[in-house]
Amino acid sequence: MSDEEPSSDFDQEHSEGAGDQPENARISLQEQEYSPKVNGRLQRQHRVFYQRKAKKIEQILSKDPVDIAELRQQSISRGGLLTDDLRRRAWPILLNVNVKNITPKPEAAVLQGHRDYRQVVLDVERSLRRFPPGMEEQHRLSLQDSLVDVIMRVLVKHPELYYYQGFHDICVTFLLVVDEDMAFALVEKLSLGHLRDYMEATMERTTQVLNYLQPLLKKANPELYDYLEGAELGNIFCLSWIITWFGHVLNDIKSILRIYDFFIACHALMPIYLTAAVVLYREKEIFETEQEMPFLHALLSKVPDNLPFEQLLSNAGDLYILYPPVELANEALKRFRRAQAQAAARKQLALQKNAQRKSILPDGNVTFAKVTWWMLGAVASVAVYALYSSMDWDWSSWISHGS
Amino acid sequence: MSGDLASRHSYDETPHTSRSEMVESAEGGAVQIVEKQVQRRIFKIIVIGDSNVGKTCLTYRFCLGKFPDKTEATIGVDFREKAVHVDGEHLKLQLWDTAGQERFRKSMVQHYYRNVHAVVFVYDMTKMSSFENMPQWIEECDRHNLNKSIPRILVGNKCDAVDRVAVNTNLAQKFADSHNMPLFETSAKDDEKANHVDAIFMTVAHKLKNSKPMMPPHLADFVPGEVPRNVEYISLRGSPHHRGLQTAARGQCGEKSDCGC
Ligand SMILES: Nc1nc2c(ncn2[C@@H]2O[C@H](COP(=O)(O)OP(=O)(O)O)[C@@H](O)[C@H]2O)c(=O)[nH]1
Ligand SMILES: [Mg+2]
Repeated sequence: MSDEEPSSDFDQEHSEGAGDQPENARISLQEQEYSPKVNGRLQRQHRVFYQRKAKKIEQILSKDPVDIAELRQQSISRGGLLTDDLRRRAWPILLNVNVKNITPKPEAAVLQGHRDYRQVVLDVERSLRRFPPGMEEQHRLSLQDSLVDVIMRVLVKHPELYYYQGFHDICVTFLLVVDEDMAFALVEKLSLGHLRDYMEATMERTTQVLNYLQPLLKKANPELYDYLEGAELGNIFCLSWIITWFGHVLNDIKSILRIYDFFIACHALMPIYLTAAVVLYREKEIFETEQEMPFLHALLSKVPDNLPFEQLLSNAGDLYILYPPVELANEALKRFRRAQAQAAARKQLALQKNAQRKSILPDGNVTFAKVTWWMLGAVASVAVYALYSSMDWDWSSWISHGS
Repeated sequence: MSGDLASRHSYDETPHTSRSEMVESAEGGAVQIVEKQVQRRIFKIIVIGDSNVGKTCLTYRFCLGKFPDKTEATIGVDFREKAVHVDGEHLKLQLWDTAGQERFRKSMVQHYYRNVHAVVFVYDMTKMSSFENMPQWIEECDRHNLNKSIPRILVGNKCDAVDRVAVNTNLAQKFADSHNMPLFETSAKDDEKANHVDAIFMTVAHKLKNSKPMMPPHLADFVPGEVPRNVEYISLRGSPHHRGLQTAARGQCGEKSDCGC
């Protein structure tokens, strides 16, 4: 992607006919298969639609100041920001980055002296899959160097943030579109916002976020929920979806970027809603799979590349309106506490068993009711909520559900 | 809460049988389910150790028969599976490949420690720190309620990097001895060692097949005499890779009783 000449021409970059796109990914844009004739017409319609949308985004971006609500709406609605060129211009605005005042890169020694440097290098070295197959090795290597730097710059500037495996998947996505400085600035904002819960010293808050999934599934499809719970599936199968915004599990960079457009403009919990949308979409396959954790984990942990992502994003938005985070919070917290208590009980059992082994002590006190970052950020969520309700096009179905 | 614990998570450690057979395709690692009426015991093996020691490559090598050309950091827990044949019985081994980063194992991985039948500890022979962290992993394992009687093995990976070896075999051997585990030094990368990697997991399979009492780890109060010893290498005898294994495993079994071997 990024080694192509930047292009604002939608036809070149993302048209249905784009040569490097697999057949199914192209079809998936259309959500349904039709006869060739109808298909041809639809394709034309799509093209016209996307061309208009690109123009509209151009218009929005050319105003000063930019109407951020409008831009968000474009980023969320079908197709998202469409091209890398538009992304380069829109992302900094959506994330409120001051492009004239980006913290300069510290000395290499400072970056390398950080506690997480080693782990970051290990993970970046193993990130080959995230680069376009055709990319020249020299170019890829220099991007990988930049990737390490982007990550380290965020961590060095914010000592309170901890690196997690998967953060590199977020950063590489940005680095494939924007330059190193901008990637750093964008990711820094996200780290302090959408991703904050994942960057704690421990995974406790990440676990709390994950605990929103089951209550959501329970409301949306009780039978499916029962089936998965009966298998004690757990929620690690989607851990990487959530903390990498699907960057780690999808192969098609276009889908990934589209999803990033969506998440950047949405509530921090939206990845949970998209996860639920994916799981719900695969209902049939799930019921056809034996009700055993390993089989369900194996089925679900891989996300097929040919899912109709536009449709699923729309479904995720519906779910968000139907079951906003506040309605799930209680249940999620209960779940979290139950898991904590179970872990404590199990630890206790182990302790009794190993009483003679003095080296084993439980971790310090467990604080159950820690409030997660985005709970505190409820104000922000109201803003996005209002945004949804203000939309009239294509997402009109959401409004009727809004409370 | 503990009542809940007992009923919901009943520690059903006994290997269960499956109604359908899983067939793993080598290409994408995708798992396809082929309906076949077979009864086979399933054993769950968890693979743990520091990040980058080669856990993903080892499980990939065993389950898919080759060294992966592009590995990625494992996020959370990955699942791979292989059907094996042990002394006339079809078994299925489920390998749970875990993330190495400390933050993941603290809270997330516990769910996957449950119902485990065997543990494979992996360190990187070219990296001393990965070996020095072993006691932490072992303690972690104990803490998750895993009884010491379930089979555990220690694997030093990357033995192909001869000139970079940092962990002395004797040292590793002593450590393994002190924890009553067999030690294997191997390589996921070296094609010539492919048989050796297979043999290591097959050793575990043998041990599992033959160790009759598949009791819930937290309930099974270990009775030394109950677990058959020295049974696991028998059917490997005469196979080409047997010697390496024998050498590697020499002296581990038979002295201490609670190694489960
Ligand atoms: N030389 C050598 N390198 C290996 C071997 N096994 C794995 N590696 C490399 O070590 C790195 C980490 O491997 P991986 O399986 O991802 O480690 P994990 O984090 O423990 O899962 C990768 O770059 C592999 O290519 C081996 O047997 N020999
Ligand atoms: Mg791994």
